Amino acid sequence: MESLILQHLLNWLVLGSIYALVALGFSLLFGLLNVIHFSHGDVSMIAPFVALGSLQAIFGITGGAMGVLPILAALAIAILVTGLIGIGADKLVISRFRRSPAMMALVATVALGTVIRELIRGFYPQGSNPKAFPAIAQGFLEIGPLRLPAQPVLIVGTTVLVVALMYGLMQKTPIGTRIRAVAEDAATARLMGITPSRIFAFTFFLASAAGALGALFFASHAGVVRFDFGVQLGLIGFSAAVIGGLGSMTGAILGALAIAGIESIVQANIADGASYRLVFAFLLVILMLCLRPSGLLGKPVFEKV
Amino acid sequence: MSTTLTNIHSRTTLPASLIVAATEIGGAILLGAFLLAESTPLVVALLAVMGALFAAMQYRPQIEEVIVAAFHDARGLATALAVAIVLIYPFFLGGNTYALHLLIVSLLYSVLALALNFQLGSANIPNFATGATYGIGAYTSALLAIHLGWSFWATLPAAAIVATVFGFLLGIPSMRTRDSYLALVTIAFGIVIHQMLNNLSWTGGPNGLVGIPAPSLLGHSFMRPIELFGFRLPSQANFYYLSAALLGLAILSAKRLHESRVGLAWNAIRADELAAKCQGINVVWYKILAFGVDAFLAAFAGTIYAFYISYISPDNFTFLVSVTIMTMVIVGGMDNTLGVILGAFLLTMLPEKLRVFSDYRLLFVSVVVILFLILRPKGLFPQRQRHYGGQR
Repeated sequence: MESLILQHLLNWLVLGSIYALVALGFSLLFGLLNVIHFSHGDVSMIAPFVALGSLQAIFGITGGAMGVLPILAALAIAILVTGLIGIGADKLVISRFRRSPAMMALVATVALGTVIRELIRGFYPQGSNPKAFPAIAQGFLEIGPLRLPAQPVLIVGTTVLVVALMYGLMQKTPIGTRIRAVAEDAATARLMGITPSRIFAFTFFLASAAGALGALFFASHAGVVRFDFGVQLGLIGFSAAVIGGLGSMTGAILGALAIAGIESIVQANIADGASYRLVFAFLLVILMLCLRPSGLLGKPVFEKV
Repeated sequence: MSTTLTNIHSRTTLPASLIVAATEIGGAILLGAFLLAESTPLVVALLAVMGALFAAMQYRPQIEEVIVAAFHDARGLATALAVAIVLIYPFFLGGNTYALHLLIVSLLYSVLALALNFQLGSANIPNFATGATYGIGAYTSALLAIHLGWSFWATLPAAAIVATVFGFLLGIPSMRTRDSYLALVTIAFGIVIHQMLNNLSWTGGPNGLVGIPAPSLLGHSFMRPIELFGFRLPSQANFYYLSAALLGLAILSAKRLHESRVGLAWNAIRADELAAKCQGINVVWYKILAFGVDAFLAAFAGTIYAFYISYISPDNFTFLVSVTIMTMVIVGGMDNTLGVILGAFLLTMLPEKLRVFSDYRLLFVSVVVILFLILRPKGLFPQRQRHYGGQR
């Protein structure tokens, strides 16, 4: 019984970590640009494919057991490449809609998401089939009387570390100050000698790299990855960011934990719960938005006349 | 000043009726050629012609002005000619059932895009749930027909009422949420509906519903070909006329609503919600009404689709379907009826006609959409200024 509860708890935290990493990207970009980057999920989902590809191309590994070093190297390459693709997505498409109505950017990024999915499907070897994804860590960890599977612990631990680093970056470093300044008022920030375009590029890198990490965890948690997994991951990440309050990092994390929580509870307690988990997750989203229209930690909007 | 001069100038040189006839017949021929084109070079050449036409309009906005003026001057002729063209169109397709099928699907998507346009175009309310209300309409009528044996004509209003109730329900959160937050409510609603259809046993789960009986009118089953004056039209022609009638109804309601206080109120909300509220416009009611109207029309389209294909599954009504409808509105031109219809036709036919790209056509279409948004951000036919008091 106890181990079952522990298992559900761990499952909740793993899902929450994955969603939080994706939601943080949405929140960062919305806070900075007021743009909803709807292809964020798809951009993030490039990472597992880059990782698989580099495992094969550089280390000649196609499956089975593999050392720690190749996995770490592949993950690093995947995160770096995905971050750069994030910058590319901004430069090529999103930056052209800075002055357009929000709807235009939204539709353009949805189309961009399709482009990314179709590129993976069409040009990755046998891209339309699901691909087995290796576990990042195997075995169990013995902590006192507890015996925990290593991979979930690693996922949650890394996420906590990354989130802490991101808070540190945003609050304590010069680049974080610049990001916040541009988010506050890009024109004034420019007068203070900050180049907004560089800040945009950096933030896109940061958001996409965080999403990439989330997608890599997602793939190795599920053990499989397919070209269109990014749609659902992106929608859930976006929902988490919105019910937390767009633009708030803490809100995004709370939202991610809330959605992961309801999914775990439904899965554990309702017969046939696995197929209904999305229904409950999105009913929660609707309910939350009816009760708190600007999210948990979002600033209420006061209209100026 | 210069545009006014050219306007007057061109109005005197070419009679309005000639311009109207040339535009409508030219458009019909272009569409027919595109529908019947089999070889890739021909499809690409026709696309190039269309591209050139839009490029011409981009650089010479007067062309569009002249045509719009002509259509205003010769309204009666324009309507009569359009109806005539729609009526005789299937006879020119030479029994090509695939072309007719494409036309029917384009017509239904035009209705859906017009339905969404009431919200997105007129009132600037993002709604990602048109696919879901479309699905509710389709499933309601299919269930009524299969289990209770209702006829098509009885399920039509029933499905519309059920979907409208859902539309109003979906509109309720719009009282408090706006912009991205409202967009998320509609996304969530769409996913909940899709997942329910996918999981409930009485909706057939992922397998959907099969064996929806074909409608009949005055003893003529829609399964049978139309035989008229010695001509024989394939059975799809029945649904072609039905969908065309529905699109006619949608255009008429779009026009009437645009010219009524409701349309004016929606436009006021689009321009500035707070200012609209200060003018005494009941913002909440008009927003919810927009959701209701959208659902009503979408359910009609859903019912016809269900009876036409006679098989529906949750995959016909996903989030990506809603996004496609939204893309049609934005690419075509928000709050411009003709633009929205053109967007729907283009985005329905393009992927089908680009089968030579086989695996890469979705990729190609998405790239085209992005390019359109960058190069012609206001859509193929931009929104037009309102005119009052007899002027166009």
